[in-house]
Amino acid sequence: MMVLVSGIGYSNQSDLSFGRVLYGQMAEMSWPEHVHVEDLNFGPIMIYQWLEESPVKYDRMVLVGAADRGREPGTLEVYTWDGVLPDAAGVQRCVEEAITGVISMENLLVVCKHFGVLPEDVTIIEIEPQKEDFGLEFSPAVAARAGEAIELVRAEVMKAERR
Amino acid sequence: MCFKNLPVEFDAQGNAHLKGGVADPYAYQPREIKRDKLEELLARNGHIKDVSISPVTRVAGALSFHAVADLQERKFLDANSIATIFRGYEVILKGRDPRDAIYISSRACGVCGGVHSTAACEAIEMAFGISPPPLGTVLRNLALALDFLYDHPLHLFLLAGPDYSQVVVQATSPAMWEKAQVTEAPNAEVHQFKTIGDIMKGLNPLSGKLYLDGLKMTRTPREAYSVLFGKYPHPQTVVPGGMSSTVTITDFNETYTRLQKMIDWTKRMILLWDDLTEFFYEYNPEYKKVGARDANLIDLGMWDDEVSYDASYARCNEWGEARWATPGVVMNGELVTTKLQQINLGLEEFVEHSYYENWTQNGNQRFRTDPSGAPLSPNHPWNKETMPKPSKESWKDRYTWDTAPRWDRQVVEAGCYARIWTTAAAGLMPKNDFMEATGHSLKFHMPKTMLREMDFEWQIPAIWNAFERNRARAYCMGYNLMMAYTMVLKAFDYLRKGEDKVSTKFEVPMGERVGVGFWGAGRGYLSHHLVLDKGAIVNYQIVTPSTFNASPKDPFGNPGPYEEAVLNTPILEDFDKPSEFTGVDMLRAIRSFDPCMPCTTHIYGGEREIVREVNTCACSAEG
Repeated sequence: MMVLVSGIGYSNQSDLSFGRVLYGQMAEMSWPEHVHVEDLNFGPIMIYQWLEESPVKYDRMVLVGAADRGREPGTLEVYTWDGVLPDAAGVQRCVEEAITGVISMENLLVVCKHFGVLPEDVTIIEIEPQKEDFGLEFSPAVAARAGEAIELVRAEVMKAERR
Repeated sequence: MCFKNLPVEFDAQGNAHLKGGVADPYAYQPREIKRDKLEELLARNGHIKDVSISPVTRVAGALSFHAVADLQERKFLDANSIATIFRGYEVILKGRDPRDAIYISSRACGVCGGVHSTAACEAIEMAFGISPPPLGTVLRNLALALDFLYDHPLHLFLLAGPDYSQVVVQATSPAMWEKAQVTEAPNAEVHQFKTIGDIMKGLNPLSGKLYLDGLKMTRTPREAYSVLFGKYPHPQTVVPGGMSSTVTITDFNETYTRLQKMIDWTKRMILLWDDLTEFFYEYNPEYKKVGARDANLIDLGMWDDEVSYDASYARCNEWGEARWATPGVVMNGELVTTKLQQINLGLEEFVEHSYYENWTQNGNQRFRTDPSGAPLSPNHPWNKETMPKPSKESWKDRYTWDTAPRWDRQVVEAGCYARIWTTAAAGLMPKNDFMEATGHSLKFHMPKTMLREMDFEWQIPAIWNAFERNRARAYCMGYNLMMAYTMVLKAFDYLRKGEDKVSTKFEVPMGERVGVGFWGAGRGYLSHHLVLDKGAIVNYQIVTPSTFNASPKDPFGNPGPYEEAVLNTPILEDFDKPSEFTGVDMLRAIRSFDPCMPCTTHIYGGEREIVREVNTCACSAEG
């Protein structure tokens, strides 16, 4: 079972860059052969085209990101993406945003799912941000969970190996 | 004499000077916007409708539009174009090393690849007094032709295209849809869509063949771009004095192969936009009024001649006219100048209806003349200061973060169509095997691949409207493709001769210097005006195509191009009651400009401190 791992977000946006920063750290680490850590921040359309052409077909995707959902800052959640697409207008809006430069977890998932290149099993490891301003550093609440988030990724990809 | 309104004259040698006997030559009295009658009509008549579209979808970035529509008379009475976010790059760049401008200004757009980097480089080259070796210029030209091969299909099939799709036409004009299904497409033999209805079906979002092929086709030029420049859309390889890429014959071969892949698709695409345009005109000639304006256009040209370009302001008219796209201003359909200096002198920005302070009121005009001693307006970008002043939205007062750039105090629009127009009209394109500017058209020859070799000719149109903007953009695909093709062949020639140098050494000068990058984006005109001192940026001003096109009313009472285009647009869609009104004709008018609004929000809260950022750039792997 092949697993694709990444972190999604823009640079320099403090806690909102959680996925982007953790991707950088994970890319420097050693992973089992069935795990590929890739930068998936170069635009959802380009990523769907890249996945479509990729000789490796992934069974599972593990993504790290940050989302403001009103939880306690620093809350770390692991969940399986439900794979439910918005209606056609919603999908079209995601495509439009993607081609005009927007990078987001939602766009990536919707665009890749719509074009049939998303692995069946998508796990999201998501942090609740506290600081969303411009900045290179995480807030203390988020910084404290970074190592744990990477361990969660590792646990998720090892589950895949056992399947 | 290219100016009608500015107080500038030229002597027999072409030197500019201020007209004599005028006490305050650039002074003006702003005209008040009167809306009393309109407000009264809105209050009194049920068929006069306030139409607010926020955001306008299928455009890049944040654009809102407000209009007042008379649904009985089927016309628009008022129009306001609103840029809803502040870019602030000018503020961010102050005090920085000039080389930072290349990488920071690039983030102004997540669609265009490297256009801002290149404009910044050309501004820096002028200020530093350096220019690239020939292959460096050829490589830069190639990059910015490849970029547009990504950009134009994106607009034609994914952003504007759906306005002409079955789902939209059937819903807003059922009789037209009926007619389209039984109207044979004249160029079906080439593009393989038997009827106009088939073309419309092809344009259906998410499912139509043209939509999906357009999406797919954006990949090929981006791949070629990345082979040569490392990544898209923000290359790290554009440097003052050339490029930092190491290029080999293999890289150009890979690019050439990808260009070959695009040739047949481009042939088909041009002809199907021809068929679609002619169908609308024939179905109802009123469509010729959708998005109509007088043909008042501006472009700075681009794609330098590698021998002529020396980046100097003193010679900018010469190297400008030697470009593969000729700079120019078109007023009422006539080319009035091709001189970069004149285009630069005529440029002013006004902020009476924008959320900025008027910098001219502090009385300190930094430059009275350009580097050649020609008079410069206090409203010129070299004299401008970006002073944000957020305030309440008011159609009579201030309503946008965009400024109102004007040329010779007249409203001009920018676009790739301006580029093809000025190039065609000037007839100055360098001699080559594939393209020819005739003075009234641009001809290009596309070689045989699977389809036969074909000749195309874009004719300067007699009318100017939404359809002609889209048609011209389709022809620009062919122009860009053959431009890229020509540059690849040139690169092979240079490599064959052993001239493989692509960059020049430089040092950052410490004295006061000025520079300007006269360049172009996928959507046309792009200028970066730069002032340096002590090795740092003192002032930096960017004017993009959408700065012109989305501009608000100016102090002389003239609406901006989107606004004017909407005011001239008849309401042609079918509806029985106001609630069924969709505004599709207005949206066709606006989208035909290919709006690209600022991609990043930077609200300024102190010295170079960004307190909130909403970044929508596809910034790829930033270091």
